[in-house]
Amino acid sequence: MGSMKDTKAENGAAAPASNGGGAPPSSGGGENLPRRGRSASMSSLPLEVGTRVMCRWRDQKPHPVKVIERRKIPFGGPNDYEYYVHYTEFNRRLDEWVKLEQLDLDTVETDVDEKVEDKVTSLKMTRHQKRKIDETHVEHGHEELDAASLREHEEFTKVKNIAKIELGRYEIDTWYFSPFPPEYSDSPKLFFCEFCLNFMKRKEQLQRHMRKCDLKHPPGDEIYRSGTLSMFEVDGKKNKVYGQNLCYLAKLFLDHKTLYYDVDLFLFYVLCECDDRGCHMVGYFSKEKHSEESYNLACILTLPPYQRKGYGKFLIAFSYELSKKEGKVGTPERPLSDLGLLSYRGYWTRVLLDILKKHKGNISIKELSDMTAIKPDDILSTLQTLDLIQYRKGQHVICADPKVLDRHLKAAGRGGLEVDVSKLIWTPYKEQG
Amino acid sequence: MSRLSIRPRPLDIHKKLPIVKSVKDFEDDDTPTTTTTTRNSYFHRFAAENDNETHQTPSKKKLQEIPTPQFSTVETYERDYSRTFAQTANYVRGRGARAEIGEFIEYDLDNEDEDWLEEFSNERKILSPEKFETILFKLEVLDHKARERSGVITPTFGAPIPVLLHLDAAAEALQSLSIRFTVLQSIYNYWKSKRERWQKPILRHLQPPPPVNDTNPYNVFRPREKTHRLHTRRMQRRENSVQSFEKLRQVRRSLEQAKRVVEALIKREEMKRELMEYEVNLQRVQMKYKHEAQLVEDQMTLLGLQVPSKLASSDDDYMGSDDTANGTRQVGPTSVHPRYADSNFFVVHTGRMKGELKRRPVSNGWLLKRDPDDPMLFTRPLDPNQLAAAGIMQPPCAPSINGSIAPTFHGRIGRGGRIIFDRCNPLLRAPIGQESLPYVSYPRPSPPNG
Repeated sequence: MGSMKDTKAENGAAAPASNGGGAPPSSGGGENLPRRGRSASMSSLPLEVGTRVMCRWRDQKPHPVKVIERRKIPFGGPNDYEYYVHYTEFNRRLDEWVKLEQLDLDTVETDVDEKVEDKVTSLKMTRHQKRKIDETHVEHGHEELDAASLREHEEFTKVKNIAKIELGRYEIDTWYFSPFPPEYSDSPKLFFCEFCLNFMKRKEQLQRHMRKCDLKHPPGDEIYRSGTLSMFEVDGKKNKVYGQNLCYLAKLFLDHKTLYYDVDLFLFYVLCECDDRGCHMVGYFSKEKHSEESYNLACILTLPPYQRKGYGKFLIAFSYELSKKEGKVGTPERPLSDLGLLSYRGYWTRVLLDILKKHKGNISIKELSDMTAIKPDDILSTLQTLDLIQYRKGQHVICADPKVLDRHLKAAGRGGLEVDVSKLIWTPYKEQG
Repeated sequence: MSRLSIRPRPLDIHKKLPIVKSVKDFEDDDTPTTTTTTRNSYFHRFAAENDNETHQTPSKKKLQEIPTPQFSTVETYERDYSRTFAQTANYVRGRGARAEIGEFIEYDLDNEDEDWLEEFSNERKILSPEKFETILFKLEVLDHKARERSGVITPTFGAPIPVLLHLDAAAEALQSLSIRFTVLQSIYNYWKSKRERWQKPILRHLQPPPPVNDTNPYNVFRPREKTHRLHTRRMQRRENSVQSFEKLRQVRRSLEQAKRVVEALIKREEMKRELMEYEVNLQRVQMKYKHEAQLVEDQMTLLGLQVPSKLASSDDDYMGSDDTANGTRQVGPTSVHPRYADSNFFVVHTGRMKGELKRRPVSNGWLLKRDPDDPMLFTRPLDPNQLAAAGIMQPPCAPSINGSIAPTFHGRIGRGGRIIFDRCNPLLRAPIGQESLPYVSYPRPSPPNG
């Protein structure tokens, strides 16, 4: 591939330039520097995309990272860059822009990496690697929507466009890219109105908006209230802008959410903590009005400031309560995120094991499903993961040793906030007209 | 963790599963055979492993804590948001969307607007941001209405969306805001240039969604034609396209073809049955005639009468009536030839016919006296000279087993006047010359090629 040669040439060209810059001059001459393995660290600034290096994280400890992107620091020198890095141990939600001083340049593995890649390209190139190379060499200036520009877009989602948001009381670091309208993509921080979820680029704009905003709670119907906790049902068709705002916001925290289709066909269940300032959104889940695949939940999110407080479990439980009222069995749309799967497994474990603890006599999976509105597949996978279904004497049995059950229940964690079904005032969605 | 070596059969979700409450239950109800003990030990081990697992979990759980990005609190929050909310006694009911209510100024100034306003005002208090916001919002709404009126609202975003609102119309509509014309003019120009740069409405809810077939992942909230979605996957595979139309047409053609084949088949089978019925009728009639003929012949031999011409005529009569009664005719006592209807001879003899047939050749020497080459009634023997004169060749004779040349066929003139060569005795179905019992045979319905 000719493209690889280009990269090398760039490296070579960059080396002398860095000598001229702020970096301390190394002992060797300019010509033989770049090809000397790890000692090239100081001379190869700025770091190339794809470089592996150790980076000081927020725990003040070094962690391995991979450089995803770099950008010039405004008003900096020619080699003053900051780097967008991916911590290889963690989910990509922790990817972030870091300053050069956070990187341990003694650990740079650019040459090693390149050699490996060279070998790979010459010997056997997997599709992924090929794509990676293609991606990094997408030509610019393609206006029509061909495969190249698609890759460009894919490439673009690798870097978060909005770094922070302000939402009500909290300033929150975002997790993922979200396809905000192009007018907003250049702003590092967006200001959301806590109630109507309109977003603005400046604090003054938000403050002006707050003076006129007439909402103190999500725009739909309140269908549940218990203490300070309220649930609102918002119809995406009736409140399109709100639904879209919510989706833009949620995408910042959900990797596998798509905003491809309109919000018309969804209902949004927004959970709020209420006080004398209004109903503050804690999290939400969305649900298709008519699901062909018996999904009772499309997307679920607890906003970061409210995470690990049991709200997620409440939302999951709530989605099943709605399914029970509909008289349907439901399941969440896939894929589940790591955090989502953890919450769901916990919920299923708790619900099923509570029944098994109390139940006398035999019980079928179907009966469990009817009691809980959990899809039989999910019940099976949960019980099998916990090794509670055994095959003995030619038949399956459920092993419900109370001690074992208690251990599993403990591991599944607290139940979170209980859904008080008597406080749910709701009728299933019906198409009007 | 080891797995059972046998593969359990898949679990039936409708089947009631016993719940085993403790490890002891396994032991109590089990007879101590080798297999069950291994199972028990498996279960014990499983329980033990579980113990280990739970002992590990506290430390594991800390490691498993999935790190997430951080957040902080906003200091100005208490000032930005007023404490003016009180929960109602009843659950809150949603109102219509803001766009429907219409009073709310949906537009918020963006950076560009603020910068322009600052420059425009230039320290003078000509225009408040709120008023600016209001005017921009109204311009957008008015323009949208203008486009609506001229019918150029595009359902999806394709080409740039032009500005249709003119300054005069805007000024007229915004009179109530009591704004100076020069200011409005500046705002209008600014708004128009912004709109031309954006190529779309600046008010988000007025922006059309991207087209359905757009693949740009940056574009969001495409319309989805849910109403046309079919309910089952099988139906979804048959989308409303030219391709599936052609496919369905092909299916229709095949089905019609199949229908024609089946109809032809039915017709053929009906014909077969009809033919069968005729044959059966004919056989019955022939049996009857044979019987009559024997009676008549018996009488003839007794009385010494000459009857062949008479018999021939009655045969013709009979054939004629048979033709017209075609198929519907049931052979039974009613269809007995009228001439013998009152004859108790016939009635008496039917029951005894079989025995008589067998007995007759031996007891009554009459048949043996007959010419074996001319066994059939109602037929006439062929005249070899006449055949030769008409140019009809007799089929060649095959040499028989014992070397002598015996005729392997009998020629005759059938009842219909056709010339027939019988290779088989029509009644006994044995080749000519090999019949074990040379006997009077009746002509079968002539085969089509006879």
